[in-house]
Amino acid sequence: MVLEVKKPRALWEIIFSTHHTDIGLLYIISSITFLMMGGALALAIRAELFLPGQQIIPDPNTFHRFFTVHGTTMLFLWAIPFGAGIGNYLIPILVRYKDMAWPKLNAVAFWMIPVGAAMVWLGFADLGWTAYPPYSIIRAPGPAAELWIFGLKILGLSSVLGSINFIVTMLKCKHPDLPIMKMSLFAWSILSISFMTLVAIPTFAAALIMLYTDRLGVTGFFNPALGGDPIAYQHLFWFTFHPEVYIFLLPAVGMLYEMIPKFSRKPIFSYQSGVIAFMLLSTIGFASWAHHMLATGMSFTEKTVFMVGTLAAVPASAMHVFNWVATMWGGRIKFAAPMLFGVGGIMLFFASGAGGVVNTALPLDFITHDSYWVVGHFHLILMGTVSLTFTGFIYYMFPLITGKMYNEKLAKIHWVAAFAGIIIVFMTQHILGLMGMPRRYFDYLPLPEWIAMNQIATTGAWIVGLSYVLMIYNLLKSSVKGTFANMRDPFAIGEEYYDYRRREPHH
Amino acid sequence: MAGHAMYEWVYIAAVVAILIWVGAASWDVERIIEEVPADAETIKVIGQQWFWSFEHADGTKEVNELHVEKDKPYRFEITSLDVNHAFNVPDWTLMIDAVPGRINTLWNMFTEDGEYLIQCREYCGFSHYNMKAKLFVEPAVTEAAAASEPSAATTTAPPAQQQQQSATQEQQPSSNATSGAAAGGNATSAAAGGNATSAAAGVTLTILEGASVQGSPDYDPDELTVKKGDKITVDNVDTMPHTVTNGKSGSDPTSGKLFDTSIINGGDKAEIDTATVEAGTHPYYCMVHPYMTGSLTVE
Repeated sequence: MVLEVKKPRALWEIIFSTHHTDIGLLYIISSITFLMMGGALALAIRAELFLPGQQIIPDPNTFHRFFTVHGTTMLFLWAIPFGAGIGNYLIPILVRYKDMAWPKLNAVAFWMIPVGAAMVWLGFADLGWTAYPPYSIIRAPGPAAELWIFGLKILGLSSVLGSINFIVTMLKCKHPDLPIMKMSLFAWSILSISFMTLVAIPTFAAALIMLYTDRLGVTGFFNPALGGDPIAYQHLFWFTFHPEVYIFLLPAVGMLYEMIPKFSRKPIFSYQSGVIAFMLLSTIGFASWAHHMLATGMSFTEKTVFMVGTLAAVPASAMHVFNWVATMWGGRIKFAAPMLFGVGGIMLFFASGAGGVVNTALPLDFITHDSYWVVGHFHLILMGTVSLTFTGFIYYMFPLITGKMYNEKLAKIHWVAAFAGIIIVFMTQHILGLMGMPRRYFDYLPLPEWIAMNQIATTGAWIVGLSYVLMIYNLLKSSVKGTFANMRDPFAIGEEYYDYRRREPHH
Repeated sequence: MAGHAMYEWVYIAAVVAILIWVGAASWDVERIIEEVPADAETIKVIGQQWFWSFEHADGTKEVNELHVEKDKPYRFEITSLDVNHAFNVPDWTLMIDAVPGRINTLWNMFTEDGEYLIQCREYCGFSHYNMKAKLFVEPAVTEAAAASEPSAATTTAPPAQQQQQSATQEQQPSSNATSGAAAGGNATSAAAGGNATSAAAGVTLTILEGASVQGSPDYDPDELTVKKGDKITVDNVDTMPHTVTNGKSGSDPTSGKLFDTSIINGGDKAEIDTATVEAGTHPYYCMVHPYMTGSLTVE
């Protein structure tokens, strides 16, 4: 189904629709909106940190609220919903079924996103996206903190409902003539994250309730004054959120499996390797959560176990990188904008993975933990790999969804600015972290090297921000005034590998 | 398609080999650095919003400053009294969380003397970015000589050393910053004894109970007017340490340059001698809880 810009539909038809393409589009449009909103917060943070002293953000409390809402928005209102949106749009097509297994449930799952988002944004809490107690229990002011807790509860539930729908659609509703080992790798990525979500989310859902009752004072799970243990929260939190980072990543991996073979004009190097790598990451990804807690005072044995668990997950990612590079090798590559974004994503995936190995090397973690190195590392993967790939996929899907072609030149400018900007911000932050600057700092010592690194990072951030404004302009203008795309081969690849409109498995 | 599988196997083998090496090397180094020498002297480190207090093995206490000897192993037992903090001395790559209800241990031997930064490395609220302290590594001296050392330290302490608190730092159990805060009643009366003979009447500025909670009444009176030369007795009735430091906030470049009581422990008093404070209205704040503000007008 192509977005009918030719014959507009009534707004309430779209809002009450349960068709997977409509819901997919609602997810995609809302997630891009939240990307820009969260990005605006980031630009404000970077402007504040351009110089030591107070600049544009009036006080530390506000600064803490900014980074809390920035993180929460980017993770739960951009990264997760965008993956879910593309999944919604494509999965029924990929498994040759008419819609998702439960279309009404699908709609409910989407509409929980704006509700959760409203709670997060209206609350504007200051507890950090990780909400560690005791601060989040005994100090973070309400009702902001309670709104954050309930907002996340709703968003988590939305994820779970979506995951159930994906699993049933792929395993029960797929066309009988389509064997599972011929299902596209993007579908495999969504299947993997759906299972991971079901296993991972409940722990945090429990932790949220415990945070709330602790705040009320009726329980003392994490409050030492009542005999609780703040570190217990961190275990519950990271048991969910370490697998969650793979949940952020895997849809991007799946999208790369769609784009790389197509633009390399070559089939994927090894389909089986891709499936095995998904399965490995989905399971081993649960074995490393406390590498986020290596500085909390755990015993040597505990820390070693989690270091091993972390390292064990690396080969699975290495398999994906090999697969893509081997696919591109010897191919006649067309570097259209989606491919540029994808290849940039692969390069930064490698860089951020390497940084991760440094973090998990036990003695080195004491240098990097809670410093700007970590900020650089996770942004390199979330922005450099996940967001760049998502962006490439937006351009890739644009002709299929709108029937029109975006402006390729502007998209290439977007890529240059975004790729360069991301490297400028986040590589610099790695260095800043090694220089000792901690994260979540409203103000910093006026050391010349810290100031210089911060200024470079701010410049890079603004370049990235402006490049995304360019993208919005490109997408909006092209939807309205763009040239019509050649629907058989919108990117002039010369061959037709896959037609997303086809539902017949025998082609 | 899978005919080139050999390349992938070789590549994965290489990746795995590197990872095993990283893991083994890390395990080895960590095992060595976690072994605390038996003769290490214990220092208790307590983080709380938003200052650091230290207790030496002999009972000496310091606030926002820590004096250690060079080439001597120390074991730090670190905890917090309220929310999570993290004790970080970046120049010595010391870093571990300070968690309430739990004691985390680090050890180090400082092999170069000098002054080093201590900062908080776990988000802890309003003044997380400003929760700093100073580490002084001094060449080994005898215990007796060490007691008189703080007077040297006084000159390097951050809050501008203006009028009050004489440099009589007795390192008493209840004393606080060797930077010259008027510890207990002793030093105050000693100082006050010297100054009380002046004609200026005792103007009292009270730091109220519960002042550390943001939004609660903090200083009484919030706006104080005195004549130049008056002595202000700052009475900290609260249980938490506070300061009266001129300036709008920690980021203010004039902060601490006109008057600064340094840390006043709960229940203690300090004095501000306005003889050296220029006339005018000066905003002040608490360095530990910067949302506590007031203003002092000197006529």
